[in-house]
Amino acid sequence: MKNEAGGMRPGFDAAMAGKRAECDGGGLVAGTRFAGRQEFTGTLTGDYYDAGDPPWRWYLLRDLTSKPEGFPADAVWCESESIFLVEQR
Amino acid sequence: MTKDPLHTRLCDMLGIEYPIIAFTHCKDVAVSVINSGAFAVLGEAMHTPEEIAADISWIRERVDGRPFGVDLVLPASVPAEASLDQLMTKIPQEQRDYEQMIKRKYDVPDPKEGVDLHQWGGLNQALGRAQLEVLLDERVPVIASGLGSPAFLLDAAHERGIKVFGLVGKTRQAKRQLEAGVDVIIAQGYDAAGHTGAMGTFSIVADVAAIAGDTPIIAAGGVTTGRHLAAALCLGASGVWTGTLWLACRESDVDMIVKEKLLAATADDTSYSTCISGMTMRVLKCPWTEEWAKPEAPPVLPPPYQMLLSSDYIQGSNDHRRGDLMTEAAGQGVGFVTEMKPARQIVFDMVEEALTAFEEITGDPDDE
Repeated sequence: MKNEAGGMRPGFDAAMAGKRAECDGGGLVAGTRFAGRQEFTGTLTGDYYDAGDPPWRWYLLRDLTSKPEGFPADAVWCESESIFLVEQR
Repeated sequence: MTKDPLHTRLCDMLGIEYPIIAFTHCKDVAVSVINSGAFAVLGEAMHTPEEIAADISWIRERVDGRPFGVDLVLPASVPAEASLDQLMTKIPQEQRDYEQMIKRKYDVPDPKEGVDLHQWGGLNQALGRAQLEVLLDERVPVIASGLGSPAFLLDAAHERGIKVFGLVGKTRQAKRQLEAGVDVIIAQGYDAAGHTGAMGTFSIVADVAAIAGDTPIIAAGGVTTGRHLAAALCLGASGVWTGTLWLACRESDVDMIVKEKLLAATADDTSYSTCISGMTMRVLKCPWTEEWAKPEAPPVLPPPYQMLLSSDYIQGSNDHRRGDLMTEAAGQGVGFVTEMKPARQIVFDMVEEALTAFEEITGDPDDE
């Protein structure tokens, strides 16, 4: 998500900033042909990227209060349709 | 029965005879299934865009215009920091020592070539995006997303006449995708091979079917027989998604040693463990899974560290065809996979068994 030259367009969505959210995340597991699921809970910063066209939106989730044990990062980019606001559950 | 119970709205949507979806990584299996009147989705998550285009062309040349699909693993989250190179330096010594103990204990051979996880993707969404462009350009009849929501590509897909399938492991994921307008929801249960969610197939299929309205639902997880197909339709599904069923079929390119292990395996021979990749995954039991299940084993590492640990074992076992070490993702329905049949026969056997099951349930008036 760091390659702005590769069709990533950054932005800020004030309406999402500060909201608690869960992310039903995951992706292709390196070394396998399989998908792996990972779940996170944290606070949306409002920062986002739109990747490519049609735009594929990713929001930044920080202050993670739950994440897979040993998850190497302090924050995670979450695909917008995989985010569930805690207040909306 | 006056109505063919196997002719579902999924059949009408896709123009197929039987509501059976084969998920396979083998093109030969896909073609055989498609030409038998069922439907196949080719797993291309690890392929380059160029390879995907070539595979699509290869299939098109062999199916006489019949529809098929391609599955990608669209990511749903990406770590905000840490490169693969940084991660590889962080594997604790305790787990490294345990890996080495297993390799010595079972005389696990080294891979013939170094394992390069960089080539296998998994850490960002750039590959998924490039793969997706090929599917849109090629106007492949169906795009299936094996994990992340495909909602963002719906307009682009529909403009090109492409149907979009989304695979879910939770009801709330299904609700979100239904609201977005995904064409078909694959509800996958815990029984499935590979990385699954926590809900059982019976629960998630019925749960998702209850909210799906007119959108077809496909049942996934532990489906290997006609009775499973009949049960799935009774739960409200319009078809079944099958993977393990095809691994040991005659056309499959899975190693013959692994095929024999699959044919001999029962549900008890599968392991639902994090020890391969750090994420829960159902595979055939093997020395690696058994050793990591022992009380003295160190904690399994999170992804991608655990995969870095297990990759030498897996690649070395496969390179040297060590049947005592090899494993494969397999669902709980593997116990019903007992013969190495042609894919076409598997389709027809499944259809016949499902029809028999329905007749037993309903008491076909034609028989009275």
